Amino acid sequence: MPVQMWFIAQKGDVTEETTRELTRAVREQGGLILMMTRTGPLVALDDQVAPLVERHPLVGLMGPVSLNPRGLAVDRLQHIFAENLSKQLDLAAFDKTEAAPE
Amino acid sequence: MGLGATVGADLLAVPFPKMVLSLAQAISKGQLALDQASLNTLKVLAKTKFDYIPEITEVLSPSEDINAGGVTVTGVDVELITPRALKLTLLQAGIVPTFYQFTESVIEVKMSISSKVESQSEFEFGIETEASAGFLFASGSVSSHVNFKTSNTFSYSAEGSSLLRTTLKPTPPPARMMPRFITVNTLVQPPTVTFSE
Repeated sequence: MPVQMWFIAQKGDVTEETTRELTRAVREQGGLILMMTRTGPLVALDDQVAPLVERHPLVGLMGPVSLNPRGLAVDRLQHIFAENLSKQLDLAAFDKTEAAPE
Repeated sequence: MGLGATVGADLLAVPFPKMVLSLAQAISKGQLALDQASLNTLKVLAKTKFDYIPEITEVLSPSEDINAGGVTVTGVDVELITPRALKLTLLQAGIVPTFYQFTESVIEVKMSISSKVESQSEFEFGIETEASAGFLFASGSVSSHVNFKTSNTFSYSAEGSSLLRTTLKPTPPPARMMPRFITVNTLVQPPTVTFSE
């Protein structure tokens, strides 16, 4: 399951409602929201389900992106990503997975 | 035409140059589409801005002592200095589109040629004689037969399958497609200049 970072540019006006609908669609496919922008969300998503999200009517453009270590605010971005991920990860489920016997 | 010549002709009939050409064209079209998609993402990233506050300064300075419940606590004033937010694009901040490249392509052609030649001959020879003799006459007859059967079976089959496999790998953005950022920060004195790619 290769998970990578995708940038989604929303189609039409970016409102709270459309953003919520789009992020819900991403979460339904097992994706995680890394950051919200005025254009659309930055998400972590499995390659296999990315086409499903791409077909969502609110998606205007979707492309894989990566972090440029020489960017001006990479540290800050990573901090934002980590903070947002920590709010979405189901830590209880993670603990169960860790403890499961092989 | 001998069997070897037939097999050779079949091997030569494999449209290998055409297959290579088709694969190359497909890769070329695919690469173009991938690059265009990455460039579209690049354009959007270059337009998407966010407010970036690189640092917030807190200045602690002594203030009047506070008496809380009979305990004297040193008073502190906290002054928060929030600089003007920088409008950074996501591209400037450090998010770049992922570019892909076809690194390896393999065409595998498998052919299975089988031929079978069966030759069968049957030869049968028979002779029958019959003789009888009486008082005044005698008679005899001789009959013979020759049977010759021959059959040749020739079967030839050629089966082929082909496999096209390509490997796609992410690569760093092409240097000429990515702008070089020269940031002149006039918020500090003297202004600083930062280069980043």
